[in-house]
Amino acid sequence: MQKSRFLPRGRKDRTMVLVDIRETKSVKAADIFLQVRPGKDFELLTILRAMIKDQPISDAEVAETGVSIEALQDLVARMKAAKFGAMFFGMGLSMTRGKHMNSAALLTLAAEMNAFTKFVAMPMRGHGNVTGADVIMRWQTGYPFGISFNRGYPRYNPGEFSTVDVLVRGDTDCVFVIGADPGATMPQPAIDHLARVPTIVLDPHVTHTSRLAKVHITTAPAGISAPGTAYRMDEIPLPLRPALKSSYPTDEEVTRRIKEAIQAKPDWMVEGPQRLETQV
Amino acid sequence: MDLKVIDHATCTFCGCVCDDIQLHADDTRIHKAKGACVLGKAWFLNHTTERNCPAALIDGKEATVEEAIQVAADLLYEADMPLVYGMSNTTCEAQRECVAMADLLGGLLDSHTSL
Repeated sequence: MQKSRFLPRGRKDRTMVLVDIRETKSVKAADIFLQVRPGKDFELLTILRAMIKDQPISDAEVAETGVSIEALQDLVARMKAAKFGAMFFGMGLSMTRGKHMNSAALLTLAAEMNAFTKFVAMPMRGHGNVTGADVIMRWQTGYPFGISFNRGYPRYNPGEFSTVDVLVRGDTDCVFVIGADPGATMPQPAIDHLARVPTIVLDPHVTHTSRLAKVHITTAPAGISAPGTAYRMDEIPLPLRPALKSSYPTDEEVTRRIKEAIQAKPDWMVEGPQRLETQV
Repeated sequence: MDLKVIDHATCTFCGCVCDDIQLHADDTRIHKAKGACVLGKAWFLNHTTERNCPAALIDGKEATVEEAIQVAADLLYEADMPLVYGMSNTTCEAQRECVAMADLLGGLLDSHTSL
């Protein structure tokens, strides 16, 4: 592992704490493993928030989490003594009981730790350029995901405009899928709706989603034969250096051409798009 | 056989997006991905330039890209509540076009993040 001016011994100068509901393979890579009882993430995070500020907590509350008070006291001491702490969280936290409240608790803990030392929190991302999607949507609309343009301006409301919810409720009547395979990953009621409505898929391969789609267009795989930019998990943009040439068009080209074909049609808003008459 | 060497190649298989990979490729496939992990090696070595998939499919039947683009544009335009979804395994340039398209359609826009 990288050695640096402040961490001259590399891995030995770092401490990795793993929190999970079961002993996974990652335990071997970690220095400390805390086994939290399933569904008690929010309670554990809230107890940690209390402990860093020396607020009173009861033994019963600690016992509920499945982690011992000694282990927690040790963790708090290590967090406060750290020069730079980083917390990584995944779907085990954000998709179990408590959902976004768990993420909120973790982000609050990271923010509050900054009263003692430098601390950050970062979501663990699965697919290639999903961070780029966040960044691009934030740049263009002000929101990272779960956006609706149906009033002519962007609105943000996860739970209302997020894909699984929209599909399960059957709110959408046409789906454009790019660089994803919801037909393989989403809950069955959502997949059923994808098959019910016309779906358009852009993918380098014929995927599960393509098989239930109305239109499939094969595109060049990004990073293999399509050039462009991808964001790393910590929001560093990196250029792609494709090694192969593809006879398929890129995602960018196909999406732009579909957009231009739509642009050639009359605007969907009867009164035309909302624009300021004069710049104030 | 002479292989083309690409230094500092970027791997987009997972969210880590490593950019210190050396690729050795000929005209049809990548033969070596130095510095890539198990997942990255599988990602780079399993792609070829062969045309294994049809250019486009409409209702499961082969079609040209131009036809598919026109059908896609018609479907999206006629929909009351179109949804633009995904954008993970693609470039920022394509994502920008997706946002512009969702805006133009007055539809919904969402990524893997909400999953």
